[in-house]
Amino acid sequence: MTHDPPPALRVQGLTLRYGSVRALDELYFDVAPGEVVALVGPSGCGKTSLLRCLTWLQQPTGGLIEIAGAPLGQERLPSGAIRRQSRRHIDRLRHRIGLVFQSLNLWPHLTARENVELPQRVVLGRSRTDARVRADAILDRLRVLELAEKVPGQLSGGQKQRVAIARALAMDPALMLFDEPTSSLDAELIQEVLSVLRGLAESGTTMLVVTHEIGFARHVAHRLLFMDQGRIVADGPPAQVIDHDPHPRVREFFDTVLAFRA
Amino acid sequence: MTLDPWVVLDNWPLFLEGAWLTVRIAAAAFVGGLILGTVIAALHSTPVALVRWLVVVYLAVMRGVPFIIILFLVHFGLPFLGLRVPALATGVIALTLFASAYYAEVIRATALALPRGQWESARAIGMSPWEAARYVIGPQILAPAIPPITNYTMTMIKESSVLSAITVGELTYQGLIVQGNTFAPFEVFFAVAGIYWIITAGFARAARLLENRQRGAVPEGITGQGIAARYLSLEAARR
Repeated sequence: MTHDPPPALRVQGLTLRYGSVRALDELYFDVAPGEVVALVGPSGCGKTSLLRCLTWLQQPTGGLIEIAGAPLGQERLPSGAIRRQSRRHIDRLRHRIGLVFQSLNLWPHLTARENVELPQRVVLGRSRTDARVRADAILDRLRVLELAEKVPGQLSGGQKQRVAIARALAMDPALMLFDEPTSSLDAELIQEVLSVLRGLAESGTTMLVVTHEIGFARHVAHRLLFMDQGRIVADGPPAQVIDHDPHPRVREFFDTVLAFRA
Repeated sequence: MTLDPWVVLDNWPLFLEGAWLTVRIAAAAFVGGLILGTVIAALHSTPVALVRWLVVVYLAVMRGVPFIIILFLVHFGLPFLGLRVPALATGVIALTLFASAYYAEVIRATALALPRGQWESARAIGMSPWEAARYVIGPQILAPAIPPITNYTMTMIKESSVLSAITVGELTYQGLIVQGNTFAPFEVFFAVAGIYWIITAGFARAARLLENRQRGAVPEGITGQGIAARYLSLEAARR
């Protein structure tokens, strides 16, 4: 009997309520190791809420999250009861998910290299040398090593994006989350960032990417999740969902988006 | 009316002694106030509601009550609790409490002025609240906090004159003694005013030098454009 590796991400019944509003309404899905999932949906559909819950920046109202088999935030005891983990325990699991913020949030007082080194040293306890070697290897792979001594204020949008990706990747996460990575960039840079994401995808990085780039979803992602009003209303191969999914909200969305592009 | 310089010159050891004690009291309250203020600022954002409430009450009392009343509460109140403490100690304690409230508000305000994403990116990558404060937030609020901290410290140095009311032999108290001996209030209090000015101006000058060094320590590209530009540059990517 072979043991399959656990999913990189398992979400079971994830719910987030604000009063009577259900920002996330009982979501169930897995992301397999190496899978690239595009998360698409209209504004306010819950995409950002989902990313915030997955990183525990926002405490969900209910449901379970597992990162590579390890429960995050709440866990089910053998008795079946649900128990909330200690804050410290949650803090120590968070690095298993690498989040690249829409606004990047690089630390402006540190150089690009220090941005990548600092969390490795503080959170993972890596030595200065190890953190440095790792940082330089990743900055090199993302082709920004020559900018290692610069502070974020000296970098262009695309360069900052690469450093932010490097900072998350250096933590060896089981899963990378991207929050609209191209929304802040001009057309030329969008292609640049998409090619970086494509490179990560080809090297087997597990990714969940919130995006409006239908081209990226179609050609790079293995799978597309469509969210509307806090629910996943379509889940399947990107081309299938984009071109043929019968759900009215999905059709309305892609027909509008594709009409604009034509 | 003529001013007699000998009133001051003949009594210089008393002025010097008072000035030196004022400097030491202010230095103790400055260091103690910063430490206590940092702790209070941190406790202000604790998830424990009761602690937060206590902090809010503390800040309201310390900032809403005249310093002399705080001083009397500590000085005359502590013995009632069975603690016999010399006037100098109660004076330093009261001044530290007073300063800590203002410092706490400065630290909190400068930290809140940072983009929320700075805190969130540190937390999301796995840092504890303490680690995020220590490595990401703290270093960024150092430079912007210096001017308001300087401002409140100058106020605090001047408020230390109130300690004369409980017989602490600082500058104002020594001035009162010389004035009592010589009946020359103008000479005495001009001198006292001048010495206070030298102390506060000296402190402001030192703070300015530190501020310039802090800004100098920030690598090129985010200097010279002010704090706002430094954080706006982060947001520039959004356009």
